[in-house]
Amino acid sequence: MEAVKTENLVKVYHGKETVEALRGVSLSVKKGELFTLLGPNGAGKTTFLRIISTQLLPTSGEAYVLGFNVLDEAEKVREHIAVVPQDVATYGNFTPWEYCYYFSLLRGMAKQKVKEVSERALKAVELWELRNRTCATLSGGERKRAIIAAALASDAEVLMLDEPTSGLDAVARRKVWSVLREMVEQGKTILLTTHIMEEAEMVSDRLAIINKGQLVAQGTVEEIKSLAEEKFRVVVEGSPNLLEKFANNYSSVSFGSKRVIYVNSGDEAIELVRKALKSGLKAEAAPITREDVFVKLVGGVELNEH
Amino acid sequence: MNTRKMIRDAWIIAELKALPDLKRQPLILMVMGLISGIPLFFMLVFGGQISYGLIGAMISTVGFIGIASAIQDITLDRYVKIREMIVAMPVHPISYMVGAALAPLLFASPGVAFFMVLALWQGYLPLQALGWIVAILLLCWAVLTCIGFVISTYLRRSSIYTLNNLSNVLGIGLIFIPPVYYPEELLGGLSWISILFPTSNAAGLMRAYSGLASFSQEMVLARWLVLLAMLVLAILLVVFKAKWRET
Repeated sequence: MEAVKTENLVKVYHGKETVEALRGVSLSVKKGELFTLLGPNGAGKTTFLRIISTQLLPTSGEAYVLGFNVLDEAEKVREHIAVVPQDVATYGNFTPWEYCYYFSLLRGMAKQKVKEVSERALKAVELWELRNRTCATLSGGERKRAIIAAALASDAEVLMLDEPTSGLDAVARRKVWSVLREMVEQGKTILLTTHIMEEAEMVSDRLAIINKGQLVAQGTVEEIKSLAEEKFRVVVEGSPNLLEKFANNYSSVSFGSKRVIYVNSGDEAIELVRKALKSGLKAEAAPITREDVFVKLVGGVELNEH
Repeated sequence: MNTRKMIRDAWIIAELKALPDLKRQPLILMVMGLISGIPLFFMLVFGGQISYGLIGAMISTVGFIGIASAIQDITLDRYVKIREMIVAMPVHPISYMVGAALAPLLFASPGVAFFMVLALWQGYLPLQALGWIVAILLLCWAVLTCIGFVISTYLRRSSIYTLNNLSNVLGIGLIFIPPVYYPEELLGGLSWISILFPTSNAAGLMRAYSGLASFSQEMVLARWLVLLAMLVLAILLVVFKAKWRET
């Protein structure tokens, strides 16, 4: 049985303007894997996560968590999941211990078990020594880990984390990754969202790339990487008119004020650089990176964080 | 979801919202009472009916935490996204609402108790009416809390600043405009409007039980019925209008 399964999930927000946040998303997350939903800001990641975590109703489509329908069996779903929302903040007067303690109590656990799971969770995120410090006195990374610990202490089978490392420095981010991998080793299923390709590559068993409410790719990191047929890229820069004229002859994507052209071989890349320079443009060639694959798949959206 | 778990969850939410603050910010216990006591202070200094002031202070304390704290507290939960975590947990919205409402009630209770003891000591409140007074205060608090809960969940797209301002305006408006701190008779022909506000209706009933106002039995009954009807209406609003799971 899949831990999470969605079929043709659609979400339309009706406000001053109508926004199609999800446009028929179908995916499945296997039990015991770490699945990443990768996409640029505004791609629909949070909407997807909020629907499957029973916080938000979809416009149409089906979604199941451990076989329970998120629409009709929301209470059952909630018994098995724990959520860390995007940009979650903390109560300044709370300690990491209180977060774990109270959130586990709300799961219906007995006090003795609550103490055990809270201790285990806080040790897992390396906050045990700081358990009695108020969140107001902790760093941003420590506060984020306190919330993750509260989710871990829930002992839920499926953890859903919405950009859990956003705003964290590289060290704190790696600490979170290692905690997540450890949880997966212990049999938990984790679904996380991110817009950082490196994060998806480092932690995921499988991932899906979402853009403008639609899945554009799904598979393992290697499978996703292999989607890019081209092996080299040429970044071209210059006056907009010249750039437009030059790039129109090739398949390219915008990358801020630059254009990135993907080619199959090194020779082709060198030839292209030569032509670009001749046309009065700046150009440089390099082998493609994982970010290139991502950028290409989402159609040239600039990444916000690396 | 079973009732026992709902009650347990409400208590846990009340505890999580109250205990850490109480442990680290014990002055919070004085704040609500102090604010409500300000008009009383002016009555003492510049002359006024202290008996009315004491009843007003009690209503003001529970009324303000009912509407303003409910909105501000629940809005803060939304802002820090704790509510999102709780929505995705096996917790009933009623448990959350009751728990979130009980915490500020706990903060306000020393203030209410202080004014109550003062009123008893000064002879403005007969001891035998204490049960009625507590019931009226709880009813007033419950009505305003339900309204606060609906506002804070229904206006979910409003900013935390808008909702905070709205809650303060509503709280102050419901406490200082209708006859809560002053006698209804001051309104002359319009005194009947006091029955329409949960705060002034409750204040009127408290004055009736303390002997400050002489209402007929029918009027006392009518005021109770109106207050109960407000509670039923407020609960219906919670059931049908409060948004737990977003659409």
